Amino acid sequence: MKTVIEGSHAVSYGVMLSRVQVISAYPITPQTHIVEKLSELCASGEFQAKFLKVESEHSAMASCIGASAVGARAFTATSSQGIALMHELLHWASGARLPIVMVNVNRALAPPWNIWSDQTDSLSQRDTGWLQFYCESSQEALDTVIQAFKISEKVLLPCMVMLDAFYLSHTFEPVDIPDQERVDQFLPRYELKLKLDPKDPKCFGGLASPDVFPEMRYQMQQSMEKAKSVIPEVDGEYERIFGRGYGLIEAYRCDDAEMVLITSGTVSSTGREVVDQYRDGGKAIGLLKIRSFRPFPSEEVRRNLKGIPKVAVIDRNLSCGMGGIFAEELKSVLCNEEDRPTVFSYVVGLGGRDITQEKISDVIEYTLEQDRPREDILWPDLKR
Amino acid sequence: MKQKIVFRRLQDIPPIAISTATMVWNKTGTWRYLKPKYVTKTPPCNEACPAGNDIEGFMVLTREGRLREAYEKIREENPFPGVCGRVCFHPCESSCNRKEFDEALSIQAIERYIADSQFNAKSERRHIKPKRKEKVAIIGSGPSGLTCGYHLARMGYGATVFESHSSPGGILRIGIPEYRLPRDILDLEISDIKSWGVEIKTNTQVGKDVPFEDINVFNAIFMATGAQQTRRLNIEGEHLEGVLSGLEFLRRIHMGEKISLGERMVVIGGGNVAVDASRSAWRLGARQVQMVCLESREEMPAFPDEISETEAEGIEILPSAMPLRITGDEGKVKKVDFVRAKLGEPKPDGSLNPIPIPGTEFSSEADLVITAIGEIPDLSYVPQEVSIKKGLIQVDEMGLAHIKGYFAGGDTINPYHTVAGAIGSGKRSALAIHEYLQGGWSREKFRMIQVGEKGAISLKKYFHPSEGEANSPAVSFKDINADYFEHRSRISIPPLSIEERRGGFKEVRLGLEKEMVLEEAGRCFNCGVCNGCDNCWVYCPDFAVKREKDHYEIDYDYCKGCGICFEECPRSAILLEEEGR
Repeated sequence: MKTVIEGSHAVSYGVMLSRVQVISAYPITPQTHIVEKLSELCASGEFQAKFLKVESEHSAMASCIGASAVGARAFTATSSQGIALMHELLHWASGARLPIVMVNVNRALAPPWNIWSDQTDSLSQRDTGWLQFYCESSQEALDTVIQAFKISEKVLLPCMVMLDAFYLSHTFEPVDIPDQERVDQFLPRYELKLKLDPKDPKCFGGLASPDVFPEMRYQMQQSMEKAKSVIPEVDGEYERIFGRGYGLIEAYRCDDAEMVLITSGTVSSTGREVVDQYRDGGKAIGLLKIRSFRPFPSEEVRRNLKGIPKVAVIDRNLSCGMGGIFAEELKSVLCNEEDRPTVFSYVVGLGGRDITQEKISDVIEYTLEQDRPREDILWPDLKR
Repeated sequence: MKQKIVFRRLQDIPPIAISTATMVWNKTGTWRYLKPKYVTKTPPCNEACPAGNDIEGFMVLTREGRLREAYEKIREENPFPGVCGRVCFHPCESSCNRKEFDEALSIQAIERYIADSQFNAKSERRHIKPKRKEKVAIIGSGPSGLTCGYHLARMGYGATVFESHSSPGGILRIGIPEYRLPRDILDLEISDIKSWGVEIKTNTQVGKDVPFEDINVFNAIFMATGAQQTRRLNIEGEHLEGVLSGLEFLRRIHMGEKISLGERMVVIGGGNVAVDASRSAWRLGARQVQMVCLESREEMPAFPDEISETEAEGIEILPSAMPLRITGDEGKVKKVDFVRAKLGEPKPDGSLNPIPIPGTEFSSEADLVITAIGEIPDLSYVPQEVSIKKGLIQVDEMGLAHIKGYFAGGDTINPYHTVAGAIGSGKRSALAIHEYLQGGWSREKFRMIQVGEKGAISLKKYFHPSEGEANSPAVSFKDINADYFEHRSRISIPPLSIEERRGGFKEVRLGLEKEMVLEEAGRCFNCGVCNGCDNCWVYCPDFAVKREKDHYEIDYDYCKGCGICFEECPRSAILLEEEGR
């Protein structure tokens, strides 16, 4: 049965169903409702997790690292400046191979202060060695949190799950909250093989000389590669039990498309509507939603875009000095392909500006009109 | 031994950075350029105690409820915990580091409780016979003389105390009123001193009842006759009937003699004797008591607590006034004329220099005038060889008056008349006599047994030199890591109500409950002395601090000299020195 709940609370229930043992968090808009709900569930006794109130996001991640190092399932949630403050420890969590799951509600970074949706906060953490999933709906957020623990525990890398600020975090939608029993079946207790244990004392995170360091990083990359198969495996298993699957990417009406929109997060839903309108009008437009940003699903993207003449990437983010980050990633996986689409890079909706159907239509029209983009970065919603 | 771990293949390398062998071979102690070291430093209370009590030491025992041991620890240095717990001016509390944090520890009240609890518990009576052949004569049974006798007896000497009065105690008996020092407490402590084999001959004044030559047969003589002569005012009318010295007035009260108080009484003086006389007279029912002194209220030499109690009892204190003359009628005192005065620079001999303010003369009617402007020793019996300057027997750089077997102490050598000072002086002299008789006293020995830099000495350090460390400057508050202490206010000592004080000599400061005393002792910082708190052991990042049964040891093979133990020691009982390699 579906329940109408806030997107943030869908995450909270996902965390509870995952039988997380330690939650350590610091509040920040628009994430606060997630941990607020979790603290209530813990306080009422409904959820038997240790909830740590800490004095900063840095400490939140530090205590998750500690908890995870002894083998506890650990969770935190943050946003914007909060994830930026965690940066050092994000590297630590992945380098220590700890399967921590964190939800980041995408919000613009200050200054100027802006609490609205913008993916630059999590994309700035691209190289920290964390898996990154971008969710489109509250249901997907709940399901992805549960999947994330299983994936992380299989590949021994931490995982971030992203929600768009307000569009998802503060919006009420009907959500199916699965049975605990079935979640337990999907996500059993896990045993960390190498963990902090007073009975078997070892030094963790010590010095690794140049003699071993490259191999240890190579192992991390291998785990990321492995994740590319683990993610669909886990997603498939989840779909068999709960009837919902999401994949590394989702290709929507891409067959024979003249051009394909590349989206992530909630824009995908708007884009799907517009694609339908164009298809109804006889224009072959498709949409490719990228759910897994790390690992980047290179092969799937190449395969799905083979033979497509043009792609229009919608980036609600900006790597200042270069452009939209999804577009750059896409170009890099396509550059060695002989038969590759022309990539149009659109930076749009920064700081929570609405990406409307009209705006997406403008993007499609421009892409169809032009042989190639007249500028490396296109700014369709900019006041000029 | 060092094992080189070589990973040849990718699959050999662990997925996370985790140790795969011991690092014991890596003696990181070689990295050290600073070296921590456990030390015992001087707590400021111990330094400040003229009697040389190990206050920090007895706080540890008290906190643990080991009151008998605490009592014995005090009595290793001082036979008068019951007396000092009541009448001492407690410089230990004024120097307590805790006062920089919240409030000084209530040391005096704790000492009193320890003594009182053991008086009730005590059953043993020793009656020890001297083990050594040497005998020492002690002139005067005040705190200095009795302390000297006590320590000599404990060292095995025969000690005979000559006392001119009918009962022993000196100033403790004839001077200090019962409401400050109940006589049963004094009697208990004196009888305990006697039980160590100290012989006391009362009603025996040296130079009068027994000639000095007669006591020259002793192997050493300790002169501790105190300061019992009241300074003269040197004004007109001082010889009228109804003018008494403060000490004489108190002596008569304490010896049970009858005194005619009259209606109005004027006490001249601002010291403790003046306060004691005023408060005693008030208790005996004097209608109106007025204390007049040269000093301003702030400059009065009496202990501050005593002054405020005096005022609480309704005794008028009139500071900054100088007596001009006492006038009488038919040879009996009638009134005292005063003039307002302020104090100028002290005179070349150090005495007060009042400057009268013209036109401020006034008179106080009086039936009884008490003069208490300071007491000086009567040294008329002292042999010629002994050097006397400014009315005091001269002491050497070690604080000892010592010439050919003659020793002196207490108020005969010290212008600051305190019980604790007299006890300290008696103890020091006992040690000096012992060393004299054994022929070995040296400055080096003396230096080793000093407690800080204020002159206190420790018999524990003398008899058990291995237990203690060399003397060090006292630990100051900045050496304390205050983060490890919680703010807690000091216990307050309940006083007897004003109504209950009138008409009798009931003790003014009431006793405390055991729980309060144990808790108060727990407030002690234990400045400079390890109390086994485990901080160093917990914080050492290299596991180089080893916890032994009753102490810690540093494994210098692995101590990198990071200094965390030094920083985190709450009480500065760890030193960090430059490594001397």
